[in-house]
Amino acid sequence: MTDAQPSPGPLSGLRVLELSDEKGQFCGKLLGDLGADVVKIEPPGGEPSRHVGPFLDDVPHTERSLSFWYYNTSKRGITLNLQTADGRRLFKRLAATADVVLESFVPGFMASLGLDYRSLCQQNSGLIVCALTPFGQTGPWRDYLSSDLLHMAAGGEMASCGYDDVDLANGPPIAPGGGNAWHMGCHYACIAIMAALVDRTLSGQGQYIDASIHEACALTTESAIANYVYRGEVLRRQTGRHHAANSTPRTQFRAKDGKYVCALLGGRLNPRFVRNLADLLDTYGMAGDLRDPKYQDPAVIAENTSHIIDELVANFISSLPAEEAYHAAQQRGFTWGVVRAPEDLLDDPHLHDRSFWKQVEHPELGRSFTYPGEAAIFGDSPWRLSRRAPLIGEHNIEIFCDELGLSRGELAVLAESHVI
Amino acid sequence: MTGAASRRSALEKVRVVDFSWVRAGPWATRWLGALGAEVIKIEWPESERGRLPSTTTPQQLEVNLNTSGNFNDTNVNKKSLSLNVRSAKGLEVVKRLIGISDIVIENFSSRVLRNWGLGYEELCRIKPDIVYVSMSGYGHTGRNHHYTTFGPVAQAVSGLTLLSGLPDKPPAGWGWSYMDDTGGMYGAMCALTGLYHRNTTGRGQHIDLSQMVASIPLNGPALLDFTANGRGSRRKGFPPGNRAHWPGTPLISAYRGPTVAPHNAYRTDPGGYNDWCVIVCHNDEEWQRLVEVMGAPSWATSEKFAALAGRLQHQEELDRHIESWSMTLEKYQLTEHCQAAGVRALPVQSAEDRVEHDPQLRHRKMYLPMEHPALGQHLVQNAPFELSRTPARNNSSSPLIGQHTQELVEGLLGYSREELRAGFADGTFWPTSRPRFPYMEEMLR
Repeated sequence: MTDAQPSPGPLSGLRVLELSDEKGQFCGKLLGDLGADVVKIEPPGGEPSRHVGPFLDDVPHTERSLSFWYYNTSKRGITLNLQTADGRRLFKRLAATADVVLESFVPGFMASLGLDYRSLCQQNSGLIVCALTPFGQTGPWRDYLSSDLLHMAAGGEMASCGYDDVDLANGPPIAPGGGNAWHMGCHYACIAIMAALVDRTLSGQGQYIDASIHEACALTTESAIANYVYRGEVLRRQTGRHHAANSTPRTQFRAKDGKYVCALLGGRLNPRFVRNLADLLDTYGMAGDLRDPKYQDPAVIAENTSHIIDELVANFISSLPAEEAYHAAQQRGFTWGVVRAPEDLLDDPHLHDRSFWKQVEHPELGRSFTYPGEAAIFGDSPWRLSRRAPLIGEHNIEIFCDELGLSRGELAVLAESHVI
Repeated sequence: MTGAASRRSALEKVRVVDFSWVRAGPWATRWLGALGAEVIKIEWPESERGRLPSTTTPQQLEVNLNTSGNFNDTNVNKKSLSLNVRSAKGLEVVKRLIGISDIVIENFSSRVLRNWGLGYEELCRIKPDIVYVSMSGYGHTGRNHHYTTFGPVAQAVSGLTLLSGLPDKPPAGWGWSYMDDTGGMYGAMCALTGLYHRNTTGRGQHIDLSQMVASIPLNGPALLDFTANGRGSRRKGFPPGNRAHWPGTPLISAYRGPTVAPHNAYRTDPGGYNDWCVIVCHNDEEWQRLVEVMGAPSWATSEKFAALAGRLQHQEELDRHIESWSMTLEKYQLTEHCQAAGVRALPVQSAEDRVEHDPQLRHRKMYLPMEHPALGQHLVQNAPFELSRTPARNNSSSPLIGQHTQELVEGLLGYSREELRAGFADGTFWPTSRPRFPYMEEMLR
């Protein structure tokens, strides 16, 4: 069985042309990891996102950006200058063979090149074009500049994240890191593209998708909009837990090793929960007075909420390493978690059981690196990271010569004239 | 091919059996509904925690199963079948429904559906090409599959929480269940991908999605910094609040784009709780534009701020000066001044700001009114994308609990009125111990 070809992913047979940077590259990765043939089209010299750190061994180089590596797995890469007539001609030939074009240029740019949806679909009526841009193709902010931080501000994420006054009086709203504004835009764009692809299996027709990162972010604050729409409430930021109209009990506790544990308690303290909590704390001889029958009265629990949470639970967690408190609680059915650093996950046996981590070969370096894998396990058609990010122009010969039929001489001319 | 002209929505004629509850699952099926699928929510009044307890019921209304505002926004575009799946009769009804459906989706902990007698093998027996999406906390495989999550727990365990905050403070984390929203996105993505695969190959499958695992790939560059460079995230100056780099610490990427200054939130006039703007300059040219917008004060034209290295080195001073200027302007005013000059700036927006004051969201019709039988007319959130030929639309408000029981049981599944009445009498369609809503009495006439 070792020679068996891995089964194809659910999107195998689809070709996606990606003309995108930090805004859309994660969407391309999702489609590529799901099995599509994603061709990343970069300007000659490479996409500017190759200049974003961190870099391998902290040596800045367009082929060593770990950020670029991560967001461009399972793609092939070519270079093409769309600002030249030859570049546009070649792009049109590629688009005739594609199922999806994903672009994130400023609104109007593709049209100015004669590469808008209307032009492209004339030669390929099944083509799906998704423009994923900061604010969409229309509206007063259409041409505004943005960044991850800007989207987290205007989208509402920051208004919900920050500190209790006891931790930082009058602190600022905080934008969580990690480039999550781009993730939010890409998740919704991926859904829109997948919906159009499903439709196409029955209609045979493509369509144009106008996706907005700002709207995606504005949609991603759980109940904040509902709290305002239905009750007129504007929520307050709280350390390590949900925004709320009125202050709620804390859920983040410092463990013996200095790490934190997220222990959800507030709003859950009923007699049965308290009995189970007493069992958990008692395992370590720390139940205090929690076994007292008086706690079977909800009124007594309510009076003693602070005692239970801020004393008994806080002391319990502070007496244990965070990982131990987490597992002890989960084993007894409590929905608690340890606040991990990303690197703490490498040792998690549960993830190894799911074959989550992937070894990705970088043949040009003679090394392989461990990458995080996929969100879900598909039973019949694996979601699977298939290869490292492309080097600049790595597949120019494969795609322009082998697939489009250009000669090596023609390719050389294109390179000399800065078309590729 | 049914012909593009006759199709009005992308998921026309797709039927979804939706066992999902609380938030992550319902947020997934909400979008399948907006895209045109018939989403049938299977629920039971004792156990849908998305309806109760409710903290989003309008002040003038009684809190009950049908008056949660957040439930309404999370469950538009669905029908509700109240059904006790844990009874033999209820199980038969749901199996008949699965037999004529395309997708089964749920977000229970890992063994619940199997324990009900609805494991994947059984689903396949009923409908061989079914697409089954399970959205559990830790997945259906792996030694900790029985662990449970809410958004905050998935965020904590996966490393997302630690990315948010200021150095030398506890994690600020995410002020909401980011991974319920995002878990929902992955649920929808998996369902659509499974459907695409089925339409092209004829084969269904089980898709085992985990909320906690789905969070981890959102930390990709930080993880590669560890696996390739050996650098962890528990380090001095990380996370750097709203900055790209914390002053006085080594210049190391903080995984949110280029390491630049200014890159921060600044107070604006009149200094209220959400009166803040963020300003980012990606290069010296953008900085010079900001200097012009600020009126080129003498501090700003100082040589030490002219180049990025100096701005990073003197970031505390830089930020103090910028804030002394930003405090003179209201946040939307500041945004307009900056953006007109090509400077990256946007206001921090609360929910109220987004609904009432954001001209872009208004132009794009992000919030449109819908009528709900118990809540009245309220604004509901719309899709952040426009599909030109098969647009996503909110077609109906969230269902009252059991609102479509008769329509589905009689109309779709072909049971008789007598069988419906019997099912209400024996606790299949509604607990016998619980008063029925007036619309249920209507069904039984």
